[in-house]
Amino acid sequence: MKDYTERNRALLHFIVTPTILLTVALLGGLRVDAQTSHFVFIAPPLVTLVLAILLGSLFVRAGAIDLRQWFALEQPMLTNLAHLLTLLALFFASAQAFNSVLPESGLLHWMFSFFFLWTLWTNQFSAFDARRLLKSLIVLFSTAFVLKHLLVSGLYAPEGGWFRRIASALLQGIAIDVPAFAPITGYLSFFALALYVAGLLLIAPVPARPASVDNKLAVREDALAESADQLSE
Amino acid sequence: MQRKIIQITGMVWTVVYASIIVWIYATEPRSFKEVATNSQVAVGTYEINQERFSNGLALFRRDQFRAARDEWTAADPAQKDPRTQFYVAYAWYRDGWGRVYYDNAFFKQGLEAVNRAITLAPNGTLTVDDPDLQMHTAAELKTELEQGTETSWKDLNPLKLFRQRK
Repeated sequence: MKDYTERNRALLHFIVTPTILLTVALLGGLRVDAQTSHFVFIAPPLVTLVLAILLGSLFVRAGAIDLRQWFALEQPMLTNLAHLLTLLALFFASAQAFNSVLPESGLLHWMFSFFFLWTLWTNQFSAFDARRLLKSLIVLFSTAFVLKHLLVSGLYAPEGGWFRRIASALLQGIAIDVPAFAPITGYLSFFALALYVAGLLLIAPVPARPASVDNKLAVREDALAESADQLSE
Repeated sequence: MQRKIIQITGMVWTVVYASIIVWIYATEPRSFKEVATNSQVAVGTYEINQERFSNGLALFRRDQFRAARDEWTAADPAQKDPRTQFYVAYAWYRDGWGRVYYDNAFFKQGLEAVNRAITLAPNGTLTVDDPDLQMHTAAELKTELEQGTETSWKDLNPLKLFRQRK
């Protein structure tokens, strides 16, 4: 029974999680052209890399990732390397998740980028725990998704209705350049964001260690406790 | 031991998957068909569609250059065959050639195609032994296309009305 648990945990940690995160990295920049139905791959803009760094820092500050446990001298080099790859996959998945909900160009691209930067920067100084951070991220990405794929896309769709007419009247004279993508782009983005959240749920703050490392650490902790007792005496 | 195997498998898979993603973003395929073609190019098993190439050649010989180009584009979708790209460039040349003036846009497209052919050819030299053509090397064709896009006093020479298409 224990064997299965450890094996499944290892599968989840070393194979499933990086696969999910890399799939987000693949789908986050994928759009489908409205006219030709061709794939359009948009590499992550520089601003999304900055946002991913800020988000990574937030993960560490909130305790969603305990770096000292992810990289430790007591662990085999292979484990540390596997963890590095997983965190790199998380970084690129974060960048592509932002890429997926950012308008591609124009004024809206910079407005969305600014709001993301503002939110992540102010969050750096807030008290967060891992659970609250995850909830906050779900709200942040959902809002951006609704704004981009429902409101903005609807606004500039060729068959746009009353909302488009109102917005055209309000924004008269302001050039907002939004490329037209097929509706399937929205579904792809939704799928990518859902996968991203699933990937975040799978990432444990402290990765599960094999029994041998746990034993070594337990011995070390016992020794430390003993020496602390002797000192106090 | 089992954990170690899973770790190594996971690491190898992560690196391979990440490389595939980088490759996809670098090649920017427009459809699943292009993904398959690009994969063939990457693996080294890419071959042009010989039947469509021959169809294009037949059309080219009947002076139907646009249709010929369409056939060659379908025959070599990845634009990786130097010989096909040479013929595409030749079709642009013949299409753009005029007794009074050359079509600059067509010649520029021809230049792009011939440059592709030169880049793809081993050692950068390409010779096509086709008796129906008057230019047999990519270098000759490139020079002709370059001269066609340049503007000079020679363009005012009335004798150019007697020049021959190659």
